[in-house]
Amino acid sequence: MLRKDVLVLRRSPLLLGILLAYPLVIAVLVGLVAGYGSAKARVALVDEDNLPATVVLGGHTFHVDRTISEVSKNVKLVRLSADEAAQQLRDGRVVAVLTVPPGFISTLRGMVKSPQLRLDLSTGTISTRVEQQVQALVYSLNRQLQHAYIASNLRYVTLILHGGDGSFVGAPITVLGIENAQRLLAGMPETTRTRALLDFLHDARLALANTGDALRSTAHPIELVRGPARGRTWVLSANVQAYALGLTITFLALMLAAGSLAAERDENVIGRLARGLIGLGHLVWAKIALAAAVALVLGLAIALAFGVIIEVGGVTGGEPWRRLPLLVVGLVLAGGSLGALGALLGALAREARAASLVALLVVMPIVFLGLIPAEIVPPAGWVSNALPFAHSVRFFRSALYDLSPWGEVAWQALWLLVLGAIFGGLARLGARRLLV
Amino acid sequence: MTEPSPLLAARGAGRRFGQTTALEPVELEVWDGDALALVGPNGAGKSTLLALLAGALEPSAGRIERRKGVRVGWAPQRPAQYGHLSARENLELFARLEGEADPHAAAERLLDAFELPGEAAPSANLSVGNRQRLNLAIALLGSPGVLLLDEPTAALDPEQRRRLWERVATLRAAGGAVVFATQNVDELERTATRVAALRDGRLVFAGPAGEYDRSRVETLSA
Repeated sequence: MLRKDVLVLRRSPLLLGILLAYPLVIAVLVGLVAGYGSAKARVALVDEDNLPATVVLGGHTFHVDRTISEVSKNVKLVRLSADEAAQQLRDGRVVAVLTVPPGFISTLRGMVKSPQLRLDLSTGTISTRVEQQVQALVYSLNRQLQHAYIASNLRYVTLILHGGDGSFVGAPITVLGIENAQRLLAGMPETTRTRALLDFLHDARLALANTGDALRSTAHPIELVRGPARGRTWVLSANVQAYALGLTITFLALMLAAGSLAAERDENVIGRLARGLIGLGHLVWAKIALAAAVALVLGLAIALAFGVIIEVGGVTGGEPWRRLPLLVVGLVLAGGSLGALGALLGALAREARAASLVALLVVMPIVFLGLIPAEIVPPAGWVSNALPFAHSVRFFRSALYDLSPWGEVAWQALWLLVLGAIFGGLARLGARRLLV
Repeated sequence: MTEPSPLLAARGAGRRFGQTTALEPVELEVWDGDALALVGPNGAGKSTLLALLAGALEPSAGRIERRKGVRVGWAPQRPAQYGHLSARENLELFARLEGEADPHAAAERLLDAFELPGEAAPSANLSVGNRQRLNLAIALLGSPGVLLLDEPTAALDPEQRRRLWERVATLRAAGGAVVFATQNVDELERTATRVAALRDGRLVFAGPAGEYDRSRVETLSA
């Protein structure tokens, strides 16, 4: 029966065309998404303050262009005039305009109030992402400035402690310093007043000795330290691949198993087969095997096409090559489990057209349920857990991303097997309806 | 010495589809050499009775008995074959499922016997007559002892009809039997040895063909 089904599949040019084109389209789309995920957004930098080549802040010298390139790793900054930037923002050639307003550097040098940068965003769907990237840019810049500000403040503290020459708001100053003040007081006749002053200077000296750590912790009340990566590839790439594979084989396996089982009745063959030539269980099994075989072939085609796109596009991570054997297992299990669900739909719908339509209508809710985080909507998680899509995606994601995927993969494989057995059993019971 | 049993028998076999009764419980036996004609108007239950006898449907009541070792060939009214497969591929597939020792040879034999096209064109593209020939050819796979034919000659030309009844005669002469549903009075008179008349899902007459009086049966069952 499986050979017959494969032969019938080959004889349906439209269906075959869709089956061949669909994974390629999905792979290209996924490749584009993966490329977009790692691409740098083009952002215009409008300099209305005529930024100098170098800026000295708190005794630190900042090379403006070098600093900009250091802090703008996630965006591509291009210097434009205000008019050009506005035009390119309208045309979509830049996704945002970052403007340095007049007086920015002088406000920065003053270290009294915070200077402002202005951000204008496009109205496109990626504006949120660009805003986050520019916020990250400003955050990086602030961190560099904080280091300079802290160093500057510490120099004042040192001056107060030890005394000497310095400058304040550009004006030269000479400071006696606590240590010199202590020495002066020690040379004076001891009175109640000098004793009180010496006690105060002693306490002040101890307190100022810890100012450095205090300033640093004030600048960074909480420091985020990233843990070691647990994955072997860039997680976004693994995620989009997992969803592309899951979505494709869910669509194909459901449609194929549902349509081909119901077609046995449409062709009036089911009665002939049921006369003892072939059991209904065998018939359902053949449809599950067909779904698994098609899921394997097309899933591998997608994985290979995706890998090639990633290599050609130079996208970091996501290469599936070394995990192909694990993907083969996942594709067969997921295809079989989804095929069992499709066979159940086919048995219930009884007619090939109705079965295909029902399968199509069922695919979207299954996929959306799988996308809703269970932590946010627990009932969606429960329903999703009872369907093969979410487990397929988890299997593929773990296979493609985790450094040690075995535990997760085994658990999801067990889920797929159990769900496949349940849906297959129900499909066998439901297949009796095809005889009516 | 064991008592002889019929080749095929319906023992109070009936069938309901939900609330609808397609066939009231029926008692019927098919013996060696029989040519049993099922007659009755559309919707009388002839096709349901044939499907029950063939094992394609399970009876809602009663049972179907088959003599041990007897194989049954069934040609339903609407051809039962895969439209995307060619005539040859259909025959080879069903020959394999019927347990033919050499499916390829069996397919070749029946392609010749029914003058079916051997090329790879899908059977869905065949003419109505050729599809019915293929339907009958599939029923003959596996060397059946009993043939169940549902209005078998409806789409056949006169020459093919003649050949079909010749095959049926050969089968009966070898101890086999045929049960066929028909609306054709000529076929009934020429071929049938026994008649079972159905009306509204009830068996209203069962007996030798010579005793079947159509007008009387219709009066009785009205």
